[in-house]
Amino acid sequence: MIDTFTAVLTALGPVLQDGGAQTIEQAPAIPPQAAAALAVGLAAFGAGYAERGIGAAAVGAIAEDDDMFGRGLILTVLPETLVILALVVVFIAG
Amino acid sequence: MSTERAAGGSNYEYVIARVRSRRAALFDDDDYRKLVRMGPGEIARFMEESEYESEMNALGARHSGVDLIEYALNRNVAKHFDDLLQWADGRLYDYVARYIRKFDVWNVKTIIRGLYTGTDATGVETDLIRAGEFDDAFLDQLLNAGSIEELVELLEPTRFGDLLADAYAVYEDEGVLVPLENALDRAFYEELLTGLSGEQSRAMELYVEFLSAEVDFRNLRNAFRLARSGSDLDPSEYYIDGGKLFDEDEIRQLARSRDQLVEFVRSSKYGEDLEVGLDSLETADSLIEFEQALDAALLEYSGQLSNRYPLSICPVLAYVLAKEREVDNIRAIARGREGGLSTEDIENELVVL
Repeated sequence: MIDTFTAVLTALGPVLQDGGAQTIEQAPAIPPQAAAALAVGLAAFGAGYAERGIGAAAVGAIAEDDDMFGRGLILTVLPETLVILALVVVFIAG
Repeated sequence: MSTERAAGGSNYEYVIARVRSRRAALFDDDDYRKLVRMGPGEIARFMEESEYESEMNALGARHSGVDLIEYALNRNVAKHFDDLLQWADGRLYDYVARYIRKFDVWNVKTIIRGLYTGTDATGVETDLIRAGEFDDAFLDQLLNAGSIEELVELLEPTRFGDLLADAYAVYEDEGVLVPLENALDRAFYEELLTGLSGEQSRAMELYVEFLSAEVDFRNLRNAFRLARSGSDLDPSEYYIDGGKLFDEDEIRQLARSRDQLVEFVRSSKYGEDLEVGLDSLETADSLIEFEQALDAALLEYSGQLSNRYPLSICPVLAYVLAKEREVDNIRAIARGREGGLSTEDIENELVVL
């Protein structure tokens, strides 16, 4: 499975590079900065989805026991780290 | 009502977080050990300082002693299970509602018994558990029914209607309540596992797995009771569809001989969980211990399932079971103390994990 995959990639690699060489004059469809922005956006989307479940559970726990507020809040925002890591891409690509 | 709520997604995360928290608040071993040594008054005071505070306060002025405890328990159960229905959305609501209909059955049975013995409506009302799908207005209507016939007519449009109408004919001939109560139980258990939407999902599989275990245990209990009493009743008459352990023909044969039945259960997938109960059944010939073992095994199985599949219907049903157990246990303690049973006797009655 992995063998065939790498075989296809090594076969395709030069072709893609050639194609890139031919159109070197044209601007890329997605400029690096826009791609970085997309990456951050997608990461934020993922974080949001993760927070949906955790947030629902956290609110449930807080409704039963007020002391859970701090812990619930921390667990809810943990997936935010995804977005922060994704921000690194902006500095690399920008 | 349920179709409206059943639209949209399920909110497992929210419901399960709340359910787990409530499950953790149930009485544990230590609490039971303390309760067993208390008199009814002390139990009432103990409950006042726990989960049951608001119910005890609300009912304290009108009732006292063991009755107070019992009514407070009923009310508390109704509150918790109503909450479940309020939180749940989507398919989850549908699953929970199907199970909670157990209390509709309980309420109808209570009202029938009340009518049979000629108890007045207010007396019966305190015994109702207002969980379940029938709303308060409908329950009040049922309460005010003048006779069993009227009650059966009122229930005609509900899911119990058909079976109950058939059973009423038998009741009129024989004058005993058994056919009516059996009809209600069968209607409930058969509705549980039939008529599920054809959806193929993990949640559905788990729901079916959980409930078929309960149906199996219920069938087992009936089979053992029949085998023990040695009566020539037809076991298939009490057989509930939907279990996986045995079918109608098997139970008819097995119910004739207890040893065969024990052997059969031992080699089934529940054999390991029920081993202690089966042993005591063989040696001491005591059905009580076996039935307690059944209850404990079901409770344990439900706990296992809910740990294995945390985001599913299992934790919710496991909570419902555990809560019912707790209520039964407290009731057993209170009634036992009132009747002057010894501490050991009461402890034997309890099902604690």
